[in-house]
This record gives sequence, structure tokens and C-alpha cells, in this order.
Amino acid sequence: MEVDNKDNANPTILNPSDLPSRRQTKLATDKPAGLFDSLLPVHPLPVDHSSLSSDDEEDREEIDEQEVYDLISSISDPEHPLSLGSLGVITLGDIAIAAPSSPRSRISTVTVLLTPTTSACSLTTVIGLGVKVRLLQALPPRFRVDVRIKEGTSQTADEVNKQLADKERVAAAMENRSLVQVVNTMLATCE
Amino acid sequence: MPAITPLATFQPPCTARTWLSAPHPHLPIIATACSDRSARVYSLQTFQQQSVISGGHKRSIRSCAWKPNSVGESVLATGSFDASAGIWKRWEENAGRPKEVDFTSGLAGGGAADEEEEDDEWRFAVILDGHESEIKSLAFSPVAPLLATSSRDKSVWIWEELDDDNFETVAVLQDHEGDVKCVAWHPSEALLASGSYDDTIRLWREDLDDWACCSLLKGHKGTVWWVEFEGVGGVQRLGTEGISEEQKKLLAEREETGPRLLSCSEDRSIRIWRRIPKEKSTSASAQAGTPSIWKNRDFEEEWVEETRLPAVHDSAVYAVSWSKKTGRIVSAGSDGRIVVYEERLRSTAKAESNGDTVMSDGENGVSTGVEDRSLTEWVVVADIDNSHDVFEINHVCWAPRADKGRRYEGEEILVSTGDDGEVRAWTFDP
Repeated sequence: MEVDNKDNANPTILNPSDLPSRRQTKLATDKPAGLFDSLLPVHPLPVDHSSLSSDDEEDREEIDEQEVYDLISSISDPEHPLSLGSLGVITLGDIAIAAPSSPRSRISTVTVLLTPTTSACSLTTVIGLGVKVRLLQALPPRFRVDVRIKEGTSQTADEVNKQLADKERVAAAMENRSLVQVVNTMLATCE
Repeated sequence: MPAITPLATFQPPCTARTWLSAPHPHLPIIATACSDRSARVYSLQTFQQQSVISGGHKRSIRSCAWKPNSVGESVLATGSFDASAGIWKRWEENAGRPKEVDFTSGLAGGGAADEEEEDDEWRFAVILDGHESEIKSLAFSPVAPLLATSSRDKSVWIWEELDDDNFETVAVLQDHEGDVKCVAWHPSEALLASGSYDDTIRLWREDLDDWACCSLLKGHKGTVWWVEFEGVGGVQRLGTEGISEEQKKLLAEREETGPRLLSCSEDRSIRIWRRIPKEKSTSASAQAGTPSIWKNRDFEEEWVEETRLPAVHDSAVYAVSWSKKTGRIVSAGSDGRIVVYEERLRSTAKAESNGDTVMSDGENGVSTGVEDRSLTEWVVVADIDNSHDVFEINHVCWAPRADKGRRYEGEEILVSTGDDGEVRAWTFDP
């Protein structure tokens, strides 16, 4: 990864107070702020989620778009010491949670549309990978994670989308030491 | 009512994602490719782990395949994200007499000591280096001493096994424009199929001295995750009682063109492809004409999409398996559902009414794809949801039933392999 030649040297930065947040976060003590802290593995290799299945049922109602936003907006941009939320790469409005498609299914889908900071951002794939990995690690396994580039924002959207949807490629990427390092650095700023 | 019923979970499960399980060609064991860099060998008699093959790969083992027709020795190939393939060998206790193994299975606990002894008997024979990136799939040919491997480097390699654990690269096929996700050999010809991230399937054969692509199958709208040929003799299974002339014609044509090809994809569809028989006149003139001109026409094959299976999956279909015994197909994928399908001849009346569009052309008896398609139909006979809890299923296949509960000679079970690290066995009641 060429971090030296920034694709976008002067990105627009949003004011932190303009970023979406849950107003009652501080008050809701029964909503465990560190709910996902314990789930964050120190290594990004495939996680054993089996221990989560019991929490799974109880937490069913607890995960909404804001919560997903909170999980990923603090991810750092690989080029700038800024969060994806403050760069506008991730916005609350571009996160959607779809309920199981049939009564028989227990699988929900989280869709996150990314808005790259420039239309030709070569690091788009890496950002997408970071978001995907973060959600795969933090969300219960009943969620399928669909991370895509928002339509019309990148010339290489289709290519990037296909890669991010490919579980085999994502799995292999997470065994690639240099990629893991980049992703870990991005995720280091997550609570 | 046909049903898929849980039979057992192989023990102990893996603590990380498992990718694929391959039943041994004649012994009651199954090998599972695990992301913890090991391959586990489980017993189909006791559903217990028999041995773990590890230490050979630096990254996930993505795929594994048994060498068919091996005598006295089991040979397992493993393909890894570390870009290499490993060949592992173990002497078979009851070399050449697999039935004996079945017999001893009844003695509960008696096999424990033996199993422990067997533990370290897997020998690392050879490592196959050459691919530039992750190996995704590998397969031994049932009719030639050939092994095919495929990789993210967009290539398919064909290795010929010479004597003494010596493998020679006989072809590097680079026509695909994306990762090659899967490879599968034809059951009776030296014909290889590969499915790719470029959404296409390619067929490969040897043309004089060179391996080359002889057919390109387009249609899928997403990554092709798995391809598999039909077994030999699929035609007979449908039976011939009370069938129409058209259906007889179809069966005769199938007999001529041979096993069909099955594929599944990220696009959620499962498709069956068939070979178009070559016109007799072409081959006749080819014999008379100059070989150099006719060579390519003879070499190239035309395959067409024959039909699609009922669309019942909500997301990517990662695996399909075509039973060589019963002709039934099983599929599984990201939605955690396992589905079994059966091919049936349509009743003559039904076939006629479905052929309406063809008839209205005014030409009776003109064979078109549409008409052929209406002569048989694939129906869902059983399915089961959440078969690996909420996890994705990476692989499913048919395997011979070998536990004490086996109800009849030749009974088959389903074996599914999931992201939860579990390999599960299921009975299927037709």
C-alpha cells in the first residue's frame, strides 16, 4: 500500500458535533457501552463465534443503525489521522439493517454504503475491508455484512464491491500480514 | 414426506472456519479442510476424529481431494491459501479390502486403540509449488494420473503424477480473467471444468500435445463457486416406462453427449449445462479433410445451459453435489439452508402443454432447447433451514452411510461443512 502518495491530500472534515450520536448513550447504563469490547479479538483471524450464540438471543432487539454507525465511524482512514465518520466516508443514512427475509430465517443483513473521499481512491478497497472486518468481528454471527461503495462515487465501485462480497478473498486477505497490519492500524482507534 | 434429518456432528469440531469435506473414494472416512491450517480426518462410522494432518501449510487449507483408484494407500491432496498444494499418504490397514473395515465397525470401542496408532501415520509426500497466490480448489482425474489446481492468480495448473511422488506440470491455463474458484474432472473423459470469479465456466482438454480451453460457458451473473459433473449412467435412472417419443429422443441424446455439468454461483442460481452433440457430417468430413483445418472444429465443444434448478436460496450458493448413486442434487450456501432436488420426467400430457410455444411455430418435432427443457423437471424434495445455526455453509456433499444405523445397502448421507467449524451429517429420506 502506498500511503505516501495520498489520493486526497485535503479531504473535507466534518465537525464532530455534527456527527450523529445517540443522545441517551450516557444515560442508558443498561445498554452496555462496552458490549462489543469483549468480542473484539486481538487478532483478526477467523473468530470463534460459538460463545456468542447465547447473547445472540438477548441482544436481538439491541442492534440498530446507530449502533452499527458507532462501531465503524471511529475507524481511522488509512491515509489521514481522521475517522471515517468525520471524513463522511460513513454516514448514518447509508447504513441499513434488513430483517430476516422469511419467518424461517434468522439471518439479518447489515448494509453499509461507503462514500470514498475521492472518486478514484486507491485505498477504497482497504477501507471497505476494514469496515467489513470490524463488523464481522463485532456483530453477532446472525448478521450478514454487506459493505459496498455508494453508487456513482467511485470509478471502481463494481470491482471493489465484488471483492468485498467475496468471503474467500476477505478470509485470505486477513491472512496476509501486511494487509492485517493496515487494517489493525485502522481499527486501533475503535473503542 | 421426504426429509433431511440431523444424524451427527463430527467430533471434535474445529475452532475456526471449516471450508470443505471430501469423502474417501472407498474407506468410511472423510477429510475436512480447515482454516486452522489443518486437515481433519473423521470416521463416517463413529463420527469421531481419526487424525489431524497439520504442519504442512502456513495458511488456511481451503480445499482437499482424495486420489481415486489408489490401491493399498490413501492419498490426500491439500490446497492452501499459502499458494502450495500438499500430497499426503497413508498405508491402508486393510489394503484392497475396504469391506473388512465395515465389519469391524460394529465392535464399539474396539477401534479406539487402533485409531490412536493410526494417528501419526500420515506421511507428507510432496509439496507442489507454482501458483502465485491462494489455491482455491484441486481435483484428481478419475481416468488419468492428473491433478488440477486452481488459484486466485487466475490460472489452472495440471500436474501429471509420475513415479515416486514426482509431479510434473503439464499445463498452466490462464484464460480466466479472475480467481479460479473451483475445478472438477469429467468422470470418464480427460475433460476439466473450472468456475471463476469472472462469472464464467471453462472446459479444458488436451489438443494434440497442448491443453487448451475447448468451451466457454457464460450465463452466471456472479462468481461461480462450484462445478461438478454428473455421474456416468445418469440416463438410466430416469427410467423408460410410458415415456413419450420426444423423451426417448432426449434420453438417447443424453446417452450420446454424456454426463452434464452442474454449477452454482454468487448469483444464487444453480444451473445444469449439457454438451451439444457434434453433427455427424462434420466428423465425417473431418476424417476426409485436412486435419489442420478441422482440428479446431473438432476440438471445440458446444455446451449450453439446459435448465436451472428451482431458485430457493436467499444468497450465494457455495456448493452443490450431484449424487452418483441416485442422481439427486443437494445445494447449500450463505443462507444456511440445505436443499435436495430430484429430476423427474414430466408426464406426457404436461410435456405437450409446456411445449406449446414450440408447437405454435408450426414445426413439429423440431428439437430446441425449450422443448428439451420441458421434458424433465427438477423439483425440491426436501430442505432444512439454519442447518449450521446462523452460520454460512461452505460445502455440502453426498457420502456413503457407514455408521451402525445404516438402513440399507448403498444408503447415502449428506455432509455439510460450515463457518462454525462444524461438519455435520444428515440422513435423507426419499
